[in-house]
Parts: sequence; C-alpha cells; structure tokens
Amino acid sequence: MNSRERALKVFKREPVDRIPVFSGYGNITLHGLEQHGWNFCEIHTDAEKMARVAATSYELFGFECAVVPFDMGVEAEVLGSKVNYYPHRTDVVYPTIEQPAAETVDDLRVEMPADLAHAGRVPVVREALGKLKERLGEDVVIGAWVLGPYTQTGQLVDLSNLSRAAYKKQGLMNEILEKVSTFLIEVIRLYREAGADYITIREMGAGPDILSPAIFRKLVKPHLERIFSEIDSPKVLHMCGDTNMIIELLGDCGADAVSVENKNDVAASRAKLGPDALIFGDIDAYNVLVNGTPEQVAEAVKAAIDKSVNALWPSCDIWPTAPPENMRALMEAARQYGKRG
Amino acid sequence: MASEERTREILEALKDSVKDFEEEEAVKWAKIALEEGVDPFQATMEGLAEGMIIAGDLYNQKEYFVPELLMCSDALYAGLEVLKPAIEASDRQSEVKGSIVVGVVEGDVHDIGKNLVKIMFEVAGWTVHDLGKDVPLEKFVEEQIRTDCDVVGLSALMTTSMLGMPEVIRKLREKNPKVRILIGGAPINPEVAEKYGADGYAKTAGTAVDEAIRLLKMLRDEEQGKQAV
Repeated sequence: MNSRERALKVFKREPVDRIPVFSGYGNITLHGLEQHGWNFCEIHTDAEKMARVAATSYELFGFECAVVPFDMGVEAEVLGSKVNYYPHRTDVVYPTIEQPAAETVDDLRVEMPADLAHAGRVPVVREALGKLKERLGEDVVIGAWVLGPYTQTGQLVDLSNLSRAAYKKQGLMNEILEKVSTFLIEVIRLYREAGADYITIREMGAGPDILSPAIFRKLVKPHLERIFSEIDSPKVLHMCGDTNMIIELLGDCGADAVSVENKNDVAASRAKLGPDALIFGDIDAYNVLVNGTPEQVAEAVKAAIDKSVNALWPSCDIWPTAPPENMRALMEAARQYGKRG
Repeated sequence: MASEERTREILEALKDSVKDFEEEEAVKWAKIALEEGVDPFQATMEGLAEGMIIAGDLYNQKEYFVPELLMCSDALYAGLEVLKPAIEASDRQSEVKGSIVVGVVEGDVHDIGKNLVKIMFEVAGWTVHDLGKDVPLEKFVEEQIRTDCDVVGLSALMTTSMLGMPEVIRKLREKNPKVRILIGGAPINPEVAEKYGADGYAKTAGTAVDEAIRLLKMLRDEEQGKQAV
C-alpha cells in the first residue's frame, strides 16, 4: 500500500495498513525550500517553483501528500483585493491582504470573472497542480484548498465591518456569501480539473473564537452545505481554534472528513460524531512540530492516535521552520504507533 | 449634584448600555450623567468601562463573540465622545496613566483585538500611539523612540506573525532598556510571552490595561528606587 492508496482508502473508510500522515493545506519546510535556493516570497506566483517546493515534504520526509497553494490570497486577489507578497523579506512571511476589495460589505461587489481559469493566480495554482499530478500523482494524493465563504469574505472587506454585519446585516451577508460560494465552487471545479485529488475548505474565520454558534448555524453553515453538495469527494472541512461547541454542526456540512486543531478535544468530538465519522488532526503545527523535540512529536502522534483520529493532520500550515528531525519523527512515529488491525 | 442613589442608577445604565451594545442609550445616559452632575471620570470608569469589562467576561465565557464585542465598543465610544470634553475640563484622570505604542506586527492584518486594547487604554486616560496593522518591525522601535512611551504593545492573531515578536522585543530593549513590552493575541500564552522576553501578557483587552498599569508601576518604582540610591 503506498501513500496515495492509503490516503484514498481512508476517505472511503476502507482498511489501511497504518494511519496516513498528510494535510489539506501548506506543509512545506525551509529545509525543502533550501533544496531549490528560492526565497519564500517567490514561490506563490510561479507554477514551477510552487510545484517543486510543494513536492519537497514528500521527497525529503515521506509526508504523504503535495498541496498548493500556500497563501490565503489567491481567490481574494481574483475578486479585487490587493495582496502583499513582502518581496523585501527574505525570511518566511506569508502573503496578506494589503488592500481589501471594498471597505464595507455595503460596497462589496462580488463578480465572477469572465475567464476564471485565467484570472489572477488561478492559472498558476492550476499549472502547479498539473505538474504535481504528473510528477507525484502515482505516489501521493494531490491536494488543493480554498477558504470557506465567510473567511473568504473577510479577505475582501474590513474585518470589523464584516463582524458587525454578521450580526446586524444578515440579509445582505447572506447574499454576499451566496455569491462568494458560487465563485468558490467554480474555483474548486477548476482545481479538480487541473489535478487536485481532494479539496479542503478552511473556514477558521467563522469558528467559535469569532462567531457565535447561532450565527454560524444560521448564516454560514447553509453555504458550506451548498459548496460541499456541489463538489465531488474527497472533501474536507477544516476549522482551527476551539471547535467543540460546534463540532456537530461541522460534521453536518457535507464534507467527508472534519479536520480540527489541537484546541479541539478530539475524544469529545468523537463521542459526539460517532465511530464512523472521519476526524483528521491534531498535531500542533507550531508548538510541537517546530518547538518540540522529536520525542515530543512522537508523543503527540501517539496521543492523536489514542484519541482515534483517522489521519494525522497538522493543526494548521506546518510552519516552515519545522526542523527536519521533527518531520522525520512525525513519519517514524506514525509507522511505529499507527499500525491497524 | 445627583444623589448617591441616582448616581448609582446612572452608572448602572451606562454599564448596561455598553454591555447590551445600545449606542443610543450610551449617549443618552452620558448626557444625563453630565446634566445631573455625575463626575464624568467616574461615569467613564465605573459606567462605560465597567460595561466593557463585563462584555470581556462574557466573551471569555463564550456568551459573546467578536461581533458583540465590537458593538459593545461602539457603544462605549459613543458614550465616551459625550463625556470626554468634560473629563478633559475636570482634569481628573486615572492614577497611573502612561503612554503606549500599539500595533499589529508585520505579516498580520488582523487588528480587531488591537483596536479593543486601544479603546481600553483610551478609556483609562492613557495616550495611545496606534501604528495600525502589518507594521514593519523597525517601526515599533522608531515610534517608541519618537514618542518616548512607557509601554509598547504588540499584537498578533496568527502563529505565523507572532514569530516576528522576539526580534522586535530584542530591538526595543537594545534601544531603550527601560521600556516595558506587553504582548497579546490568539496564539500568545504566558509561556510564549516569557520565552520571547516580554514583560507582560494580556489575554483580553481589559486585562491589557491592568497589566500595563502593573508594568508602569514597576517601572516607576524602579526609577524611584534608583533616585533614592
């Protein structure tokens, strides 16, 4: 059973020889970046560099996927936000939204570009997916991700304005989320067509650290349900933060699996979602993978397996300064403790 | 002059207007406070600010979330606008007040938390120099020197941007060893704060002010200690 088969079998709930270790979002390391000698800021806009670097965690450590893009600005850029790539920085700084598409939700116009496949960096991500599929498609699963509709809207307008509107202007917000969702469904379709085996939707901006469960249920969940119903499996919903308050709602959005971070009490989530639900998590992508020792990484792996996660996923993008020995410890611990049957 | 009982009633109404995010009520009761001779500083601290502290508690208890907190702060601001001129005229201010530079570190554009912290400091009568969001690291150092502030507050929402903090802290200390540094934001905890060499850590906007006052007192005690020697 190779890495690709292992991951795909987990999605189908078929038996696997051991627990897979992969991710739905960024998992590159500086060690991987150094193999090519590129600056971090260069790899977001060039398909070849994006694909080369995305492959390194598999090539160097056996991490069982390759995922693009790396930053949260791809879709927002297409919809009119200006992205800062921090070209002056030689260290790791992720691109951010320098100027949102509109100041307020009242001014926001969400319009689908006439030729989405060639808009902004969509073609870059698509080309990178194609290259990864061609080079690693037999060995590992190729993943792509987008932000969920609410978090995505947070990349298009001022966040304070959005937060107030989520409470006060739910009619308008619903219209906006509808349009953003339609746009995201198209982006996902294009990523799939280009070679993505599985899609992760990251809706961390709508979790209980920010929005009340009531607003999540009423305003956000229907749009997540629609997106998941219109895209093919495998598909994953990821939310970071303490998500126990809404774990049943997350499990009911139509994704094949829910991915949670270490702030989620997975044992409690399992009790609520039942034995058949797929829960991915919950290896702390910074405090353990970067700051921990290889022994602590192994302990985290063991703990996650004991808590019955179905796949070992980092809690967030792996922070690129994760040392090689920790990445190796992650894989080794999965092989050691993750045997099934 | 309002009777003690009436004063309490007004303070209570101010507090509730913030807690229930009723902007118009906050303005209405702030005006009543002035008309009936309630000390505007007391109306701010024991009325409006108290409401914000309760809102912060409700946030910690997961009864309130970010939208509710923002709307509470809108009500607080609305009330404060009415009371501010009277506070300035009365010359009353908090016992320990200082000046602070606040900002969100480069690589992070999330400033809701920072803005809440800013409001709390303003309410407490501090001078706030707001650098905004996505602030280049050297800018914190420049601004500290320019304003000679007592405290610098750094905020980060994401783990990814938190990592710039140790460098800012190191540079701030290099230039000015007596400045006190306060950090906060979702990925920060007391262990991180200690590891990064910050003087204080604040979980919420309300505790940020308390923590800053603690730091400032410490700073002034140290200075007095030195003078005594």
